[in-house]
Amino acid sequence: MKRLFCKRPATGRHSQVVFITLIALLLLSTVSACTTTTVDEYRESPSQLTMSENETVVVLGRRHAGDYETEPKFIDCIGESLNKAPAVTVLPETTFVDALYPWFEPRTAPLGLRRLEKMLADPLIGQRIRQHGVHYMIWVDGSTTTTDKDGSVSCAIGPGGGGCFGFATWEKTASYEAIIWDLEQLDERGRVKVNAKGSSYLIAIGAPIPIIAQVQDKACAGIGKQLRAFFTE
Amino acid sequence: MTTVAPNLKTSSKLPVKLLLAICFVISLSGCATHVEVSGTFPKPLSRQYPFTTTLVFNEDFRSYRFENLVPREVSVAVGDTQVQLFQAVSGSMFKGTEVRDLMPKNVTTDLIFKPTVTDVQIAMPYETQLKVFEVWIKYKIELFDHNSELIAAWVMPAYGKTPTRFLKSESDALNQAAMVALRDAGANLITSFGNVPQVKAWLTTQSAKEAVLTP
Repeated sequence: MKRLFCKRPATGRHSQVVFITLIALLLLSTVSACTTTTVDEYRESPSQLTMSENETVVVLGRRHAGDYETEPKFIDCIGESLNKAPAVTVLPETTFVDALYPWFEPRTAPLGLRRLEKMLADPLIGQRIRQHGVHYMIWVDGSTTTTDKDGSVSCAIGPGGGGCFGFATWEKTASYEAIIWDLEQLDERGRVKVNAKGSSYLIAIGAPIPIIAQVQDKACAGIGKQLRAFFTE
Repeated sequence: MTTVAPNLKTSSKLPVKLLLAICFVISLSGCATHVEVSGTFPKPLSRQYPFTTTLVFNEDFRSYRFENLVPREVSVAVGDTQVQLFQAVSGSMFKGTEVRDLMPKNVTTDLIFKPTVTDVQIAMPYETQLKVFEVWIKYKIELFDHNSELIAAWVMPAYGKTPTRFLKSESDALNQAAMVALRDAGANLITSFGNVPQVKAWLTTQSAKEAVLTP
């Protein structure tokens, strides 16, 4: 009985430790790392951008650089964010690029307003763009990259079970610039630049616990909110 | 008893060998990437030339597969999809298109268009340290008139890339990069066809003939 009595509190303490550890791990897994976001805006004129009912905005990613590519997922995210603005209809990137194939491919997409003017003057291309009611074209250029990483996590598995141990950290930087072109005025209406930086962590004591910085999501939220302001303020 | 023992020995060894072989095959296939490029192309927006053409896709072109063994085994089959692309592009560029496996003896169209793949290169992120998968395709395009005489032959490069994404397989990424490269091939063909010097000269001759024939 004595031995049994002595064992009981030990088991209880052990289960308590396990319980606290599990709660701590659960809490850690819900925590996301911090991200610092800087948004710069430049407007050609203080007036709000206006659109009629049948007109649309298209958000396109720049894909002509050799070493990076503006992520299609990021472009979709900005499109969704911009769609939340009242009286703004966003035409999906793929729908526009497919409808205009091959004139908005990385090889052929206009890099400047002069080239776009020539394209709009072409009866075939100009007519197709007008059919889709595109009034504003927003070009987004940039990417999210891992700028620094440190530490290591090793995992092992054996007949008795497995687990991971270690600590790793990495820093991601998202840098994007959006340029708004007005297809009716053939003019640039503004620019939004966003820089987001955040460090993510992976702590592994048995199970790996990731604490991820949502760098790209924050960049999208920042640039999306600022672009919406062009149409609402 | 003496006969059972060796049998037992053999039977206990066999699953181990079999397991090892399976593990070996799995480990090998884990490193290999095989892609059958698939996808669809939008209808190109192109000015139509007033000519009919015969597209010649020989067996090598239809079943073209790029294979690389070092540093990892990678194979990319572009044959079927590039046939689809050239048909779509030709359908938009010319007023009529026929498709043949070999150079026709009796030509019923104004032009014969014969593409050949001369080279394919791929670059994976582990080779370039860039966060993109890249595909290059080099085509040789031969254009013949209705007498099967060569009008022009030129090299047409195409390039496609796609960014790496978390939890996206190498096969999916290569498929996407190859599709971008094929779309680029279409874009290159549509935008450069009339600017190839020999083609330009031929087109000028044809319009001059047309002007003479039309009062």
